[in-house]
Amino acid sequence: MKSIVLSSVVTALLVFSGCSSKEPAVDSKAQQAPVEEVKTVDTETVSTENSMVDSNTGNSASMTMSEIESKLPTVYFAFDKYDITSEMQAKIDAAAELGKSDEAKSLNVKLEGNCDEWGSDEYNFALGLKRAEAVKKALVADGIDASRISMVSYGESNPVCTEHTRECWAKNRRVDFKILP
Amino acid sequence: MFISLIFADDATIEVIKKADTIPSIALEDASQSYDNTFRFRFFKALVADLNVLSIFNVQRHYRTATFNDNDISFENKDMDYVLRYKMNEEDNGVLSVEMKLMKKNEDVYSKSYRVGKKDVYMFVTHAMAYDINNFMGEDPVGWMKKKVIFSRIVAPKKSEIVISDYTLTYQHIILKGGFNIFPKWANNEQTAFYYTDLDGNKPRLKYLNIKNGKIKNIIASDGMIVCSDVNNNGTKLLLTMARNGQPDIYSFNVQTQKYKRLTTYSGIDVNGQFLGKDKIAFISSRLGYPNVFSKDLTTNEVEPMVYYGKSNSACSVHGNYIVYKARESSNAFSDNTFNLHLISTKTDFIRRLTATGINEFPRFSNDGDAIIFIKNYKGQSAIGIIRLKYNKNYLFPLKYGKLQSMDW
Repeated sequence: MKSIVLSSVVTALLVFSGCSSKEPAVDSKAQQAPVEEVKTVDTETVSTENSMVDSNTGNSASMTMSEIESKLPTVYFAFDKYDITSEMQAKIDAAAELGKSDEAKSLNVKLEGNCDEWGSDEYNFALGLKRAEAVKKALVADGIDASRISMVSYGESNPVCTEHTRECWAKNRRVDFKILP
Repeated sequence: MFISLIFADDATIEVIKKADTIPSIALEDASQSYDNTFRFRFFKALVADLNVLSIFNVQRHYRTATFNDNDISFENKDMDYVLRYKMNEEDNGVLSVEMKLMKKNEDVYSKSYRVGKKDVYMFVTHAMAYDINNFMGEDPVGWMKKKVIFSRIVAPKKSEIVISDYTLTYQHIILKGGFNIFPKWANNEQTAFYYTDLDGNKPRLKYLNIKNGKIKNIIASDGMIVCSDVNNNGTKLLLTMARNGQPDIYSFNVQTQKYKRLTTYSGIDVNGQFLGKDKIAFISSRLGYPNVFSKDLTTNEVEPMVYYGKSNSACSVHGNYIVYKARESSNAFSDNTFNLHLISTKTDFIRRLTATGINEFPRFSNDGDAIIFIKNYKGQSAIGIIRLKYNKNYLFPLKYGKLQSMDW
């Protein structure tokens, strides 16, 4: 991750409206707008900050990696649960076999845990993480080296479906596989 | 007549009915500068702030007056108080406001304010309401002048971190373009904040200094990392990290950058909150469902703090009080309701604070006077303020995006 510190809001707008920068950038001009008090003894200070930070990142994926990624499953979970059903276990077993194949054995995988929309608190993120961890344990049990697997939880913040229906919520309670070099 | 159950010492006791009247107040605008649009905007903001004080019946009619007239308007003659103010546009766009509080034609309090530009007028109305509240002898409402910081999800894996006033009228996007969530003020002065950056290979806790825009990497963890609490002087943090895929609570020393694992349960431990000097409160799934627990860090003794509700997945602590989020239903196939409840560690009382929708992310104000929370209802996000003493809730809707988390 690189950070670029820019010197003003205007600079940031020029830079980031003109191109699709892939690096995080910081606009650091912090203007103060104090509310001063007159006539009375007390001093009133109400300040606002006008700094703006832009933080964009990108990733470059080779065709081979995206091809492998497209063959990997999405593992779904029940409401408020992180145990793996037999149907999902079969998908993970197939993913592990692919992971051991010649074309994929040098690659790493990031397991992204996700939740439905019920809650944005830390517990929901932890639930997403436990889902990723359950998939990791299943992959390790299938012979994948744990050092090839990293995890992240996105909680409810990465939905694939945004309607407020039970089908939609079920689609969002999932772990995605992302291939890393 | 006064029918109530008021025990000022216990905020879990709800004011059932308060039948005696509170004083009435009307506003009179004596401004010479600015157009009507801006004058109405200022008036509305001031009315809203005075309402949130909960100590007046606020008259909503917009009336004008001459600032130095001794008499109040005829229409306001029955009012207990009249707040007359005058906005003036000075050189360089400075907005100055004079106000005086009148009681039956007599000036009882006056004060003036200046702010660098009129766009931040809402901080002036907050300051005016704060001062009037003090003048009336009420407990201070310092939270009214503090800034709220929140993260807003604008697309999958895309968020903005926004600094606002407590009514969301002022909003400044301070961090955008990436996937950054869980902002938490790093100090009481609100000059810096911690947040979680989810764009890299590992979730990373970062620190952004608002004054100079500089970002520092603090610590990374596989799986998840969240700054759950900052102690009073900003030297210690409670983090949720998952260094081996296992979400647990860690203390983190800001000066030495060293961390220490505080919980070791194999399920979920999150949302650590400082509870006095040697204790923490946190959310754990150790009974098979999320609930609020405390841990004594000297004896390692863990005990549940809440005995009501089957899914209590978030909490905030102030002194002897804990506000927590409880799921009212556990049905995956219908709308769920999440309500906030208040308990005291000294008594068995529980007070339900909200009634409809999804209410979450409760945060006490520094002084414990109010609770701020996120409400998601019928597809819209709002910030809610609960005045515990007055048993009143106020909602301030977000125009777009979904609130993810916030702090104040």
